Amino acid sequence: MQALLDNYVAVLLAAVVGFTLVGTAVIVSRLVAPYSTSNQKDISYECGMLPAAEPVRSQLHFRYYLFAILFLIFDVEAVFLFPWAVTFLNVGKAAFYEMVLFIAILGAGLAYAWKKGVLQWK
Amino acid sequence: MSSELNLDYSLLTPEFCLAGLAALILALDLFVDDFRKSWLPYVAAAGLAAVLALSLGWVNKESDFAGLLSVDNYTTFFRVFFMATAAVVALVSAQFVQDKLRHPGEYYALLVLSTIGAIYMAASRELLTAYISLELLSFCLFVLVSYAKHERRSNEGGLKYMLLGAFASAILLYGISMIYGTSGSTFYADIAAAYAGDTSAFDLALLLGLVMVLAGLGFKVAAVPFHMWTPDAYEGAPLPITAYLSATSKVAGFALLLRLFSGAFMPVLDDWQWIVAALAAMTMVLGNLVALQQHNIKRLLAYSSIGQVGYMLMAIAALSAATSSALLLHMTGYVITNLAAFTCIIAWYNLTGRDEISGFRGMAERTPLLAAALTAALFSLSGMPLFAGFFTKFMLFQAVADEGFLWLTVIAVVMSFVSLYYYLLVIREIYVSKPEEGEERLPVPALISGLTVALTIGVFYVGIFPRHLLDVAEEATKLLFA
Repeated sequence: MQALLDNYVAVLLAAVVGFTLVGTAVIVSRLVAPYSTSNQKDISYECGMLPAAEPVRSQLHFRYYLFAILFLIFDVEAVFLFPWAVTFLNVGKAAFYEMVLFIAILGAGLAYAWKKGVLQWK
Repeated sequence: MSSELNLDYSLLTPEFCLAGLAALILALDLFVDDFRKSWLPYVAAAGLAAVLALSLGWVNKESDFAGLLSVDNYTTFFRVFFMATAAVVALVSAQFVQDKLRHPGEYYALLVLSTIGAIYMAASRELLTAYISLELLSFCLFVLVSYAKHERRSNEGGLKYMLLGAFASAILLYGISMIYGTSGSTFYADIAAAYAGDTSAFDLALLLGLVMVLAGLGFKVAAVPFHMWTPDAYEGAPLPITAYLSATSKVAGFALLLRLFSGAFMPVLDDWQWIVAALAAMTMVLGNLVALQQHNIKRLLAYSSIGQVGYMLMAIAALSAATSSALLLHMTGYVITNLAAFTCIIAWYNLTGRDEISGFRGMAERTPLLAAALTAALFSLSGMPLFAGFFTKFMLFQAVADEGFLWLTVIAVVMSFVSLYYYLLVIREIYVSKPEEGEERLPVPALISGLTVALTIGVFYVGIFPRHLLDVAEEATKLLFA
């Protein structure tokens, strides 16, 4: 148990140091920096128009959600591809064909989504 | 691990075939325009039956894939078990999906894919493989529970199930990391070897790991106090999926628990035995007592299935060769019975749209066959003699008592009596309450009638000739305690 915990002392130290650094920076800048507030400071200055409609909060269309999921699949695929690219020569042929199969399955998934009309902006 | 791995892919043929079947179902749904969507359940069931027959070729063979997956009698038992269950659920879904749900292709494909996850949960002999298989099953179930997209309750049930399921997975993973940290391996056999000696150097971390693994798996099989998602998920899910949840997802959880605890944690029995016994006692008592107050048949069966999980957990607490074969026997009887009950409930719901207990009035006059089969199934669940439930419970309770857990057995017997009461409430509605004026006999589809008769025969077969099934269960669990 002791040996197990000792392994994590570095993590604990990094966490403490990290929190202290960020906390100090935020608090010190809050205390030291000069502040002045006025309405003039809130408008955009030489960078575009004033927002015309209320509320200013912009909404994303729900359909982006599906694109995001499709993107995520291929994003995660890259996470698997990089370590595979480094080692597949050592592992042999099986590793190559397994990855081809994996990509083929993902490709089939994309084709399926396409055929189902997910990529169409209706 | 030894340096040369056994990468014999042919060992996994049944699962490759299942994946192919899922792809075929999706392709049929997608590309064949004039393909009748109503055929998909029969394609799925026929495919599952074919792969089931194929997997019988591995009976009495023993091997493993890369040390990760065992292919032995235990795996073969659960291959047959899960594929048969999925085939029955596919057939029962046919009319329900056509009437009430959209996208039938994905429905049946997910059903088949989840079966692969369930099989690998039973087959895996390494913690991370077990975890991935568990996730494969869970992911399919999350989608299937919320499949009635336009029903609020289905979405609610699916969301609760997914959030709590993700939470449970995180806890399970943390537990696995503790087990790995203390034993230095994720392979069951190596963990058992590491724990066989002196464990005093890491007792606390070991206990934490065991508790978290138990909590994570407890969520998946719905043991009290980790059962909160069950009633909502059961009630919200489309009815055939409720049947599937109560059968495959529970049994797969126990298949994993049994191999894990007998294979890896046996040397540290004293650390976890009392926890599992306490969980079993709580689960039995709470599941059965809360079931008394339910007025919806789905919620009633949800709580009754929680009670059943309590009985099954007793076998893990009193883990031995005798209790594990009794557990396999009990789970088989339970699933056949539960599928029989759900087949009747789904058919009744398709005909009348009722799933409240009071909605079953007049069932005896309007659909006599379904009424008789549902009554037989409910008697079997409560453990009446002649039905499957009596003998499987008897074997299970006796095996547990032999291991010195007499107090657990006493609770289980008392709770079985309690359960008889709420099953009888349903039977009273079926047989005693008069149908309302002007309600005629209803036509039951031939397929459903046939399925009901077959499952009811199964219930009696297990109850009257349990020896055959018990022999199979003993064969299947023999290697666990070799």
